Amino acid sequence: MKSIVTNSITKIYPGGNRAVSGLSLSLNQGEVYGFLGPNGAGKTTTVKILTGMLSPSEGNCEVMGIDPSAEPEKIHAISGVITEHAQMYDNLTGLENLLFYGSLFGLDRNCAQSRGLGLLRQLDLEEAADRRLSAYSTGMRQRLSLARALIHRPKVLFLDEPTSGLDPESARNVNRLIRDLALKEGVTVFLCTHQLRYAQEICTRYGLIEKGSLLASGTLDELRRTVSPRFTVKIRAGHISPDMISRLGLRRSGSDAKDSAEIPDNRQEENRGSYREGSDKETSKETGTVWLETEVESEEEIPGLVHQIVSEGGKIFHVSACLPSLEDIYFSLTAGKEGLK
Amino acid sequence: MKSAIYAIIRKDIRSVTSNRQLFLPILLIPLIMIVVLPTMFVVTVRFVPEEAGDLDALLSLLPVSALDGGAEQALIQIILNNILPVFFLIIPIMTSSVMAAGSFVGEKEKHTLETLLYCPLPLGRIFYAKIMASFLMSMMVSLLSFAVMLAFMETELFILFGALTVPSLNWLIMLFLLSPAVSLIAITLIVRGSAKAQTMEESQQKAVLLILPLMLLIVGQFSGVLLVSGWLLLILALACGAAAWFLMRGCRKRFTCESLLK
Repeated sequence: MKSIVTNSITKIYPGGNRAVSGLSLSLNQGEVYGFLGPNGAGKTTTVKILTGMLSPSEGNCEVMGIDPSAEPEKIHAISGVITEHAQMYDNLTGLENLLFYGSLFGLDRNCAQSRGLGLLRQLDLEEAADRRLSAYSTGMRQRLSLARALIHRPKVLFLDEPTSGLDPESARNVNRLIRDLALKEGVTVFLCTHQLRYAQEICTRYGLIEKGSLLASGTLDELRRTVSPRFTVKIRAGHISPDMISRLGLRRSGSDAKDSAEIPDNRQEENRGSYREGSDKETSKETGTVWLETEVESEEEIPGLVHQIVSEGGKIFHVSACLPSLEDIYFSLTAGKEGLK
Repeated sequence: MKSAIYAIIRKDIRSVTSNRQLFLPILLIPLIMIVVLPTMFVVTVRFVPEEAGDLDALLSLLPVSALDGGAEQALIQIILNNILPVFFLIIPIMTSSVMAAGSFVGEKEKHTLETLLYCPLPLGRIFYAKIMASFLMSMMVSLLSFAVMLAFMETELFILFGALTVPSLNWLIMLFLLSPAVSLIAITLIVRGSAKAQTMEESQQKAVLLILPLMLLIVGQFSGVLLVSGWLLLILALACGAAAWFLMRGCRKRFTCESLLK
């Protein structure tokens, strides 16, 4: 079942600012969709349209089969929302805030209390449960906002920068919680963030938006193919003849030319079955290994390549696929630059 | 849905009572109106010589029968039943406007309104709950103020004159008709301005407009132009009730989540 569907939605604010332009999305249930883009790209406006806070100027959308602009309260009953401007009450304690929002979502006091305490425990806020919100740090407020958004067990979560202001450990915990919600409870997560590293940890699909328009959408692999259909494989090998290098379509990598065993590229390396020695440089000189690289279309080609090198007497010390990270893809698309290679 | 509405009402009332900056004027103004002002009037009547003639214009408005018990008693009656009710109206106006400003614009200012709008309650229900919170607070403060004022004034009258004075029907009209109607007008004015207002102070300015007619009534009485009788209070209550109803009807339609989140 589709959880979220938007059909060419456009939002033009009074004054003529076109915040979202012809946006079409389709999210499956249990999906964690990373909606990425720079400030002012239209991410928050999209969340507000999907939650019924704003009406689209053109197009239409549905969340769990409900039109948000026609029945916003029905959307609110099944969704949890975190945005920068959705704050809670400073004069109430963390738990009191959760009880208040629980009662608004129709939970009885006992149910809200046990659910609230459970969420506070999960988000490491148990000790601060009876502390007024005015004494909470930014990170604690952010985690409490997540607890508030989850108090009624929503089917869809709209999270606008949920990990902003969080320390790395808390961010990881929050990410783990979000991923578990999607995997175990089938909650659909619409995640707007700048923190691409965290997004890459939990999102199953991505949409990249700039100036209100969707630049690209898909899984990480699909996005990689969008920016570049091929990727580089780096191999450190010994007993390699120049003849073998040309026959297998390999070339000496830049790092080898500089007599360095370090991988110069800062792209994400997915080291599948590879290993690294403690002192690559020494090993390189002693064993006469070379750094080689080639470009392939898919990871399926790597075993064949390795097999060929080994069968022709070469020794493999390291193999890594230099796949563009989400950050690379993001910058490549938003800056309008050419693909990675 | 009822429990959600009660939760908003409880939370709004608590938000104001736990905020010293908001709660202090709610306590202080009634204290002046119900303790200081009546005491000043009573002491003036007791110690200023009748010959001074300052209140002659006011006394001339009373029927001859009202002066049977003496000018002092007549003045006490006028103060309790005609003058103080007009001053008393400041209490519901002030309380309801402070409450409504905190409840509507205060939430906007503190970025808690958006969170409230993400709850599964229609916008109209949220408005209703917030209006009820301001209205109930205003009524509670008004009734409590009246009880305290009566206790103080009767004690002072007993000490100074050795007699008690019974409040007239004017107070019933005031407490249960005019005061609620004026509270609703004040709340509605604040609510109508809440979409545009960015601060609580800004939104409270409109309620000041309601104080101006009160000033006219007060000056009118002291200058002997009119006496705020039961009939006048009743007419005012009905007029204000009708105005409140019209203002509230148009109020909800002016708002959408979009206009509130600007």
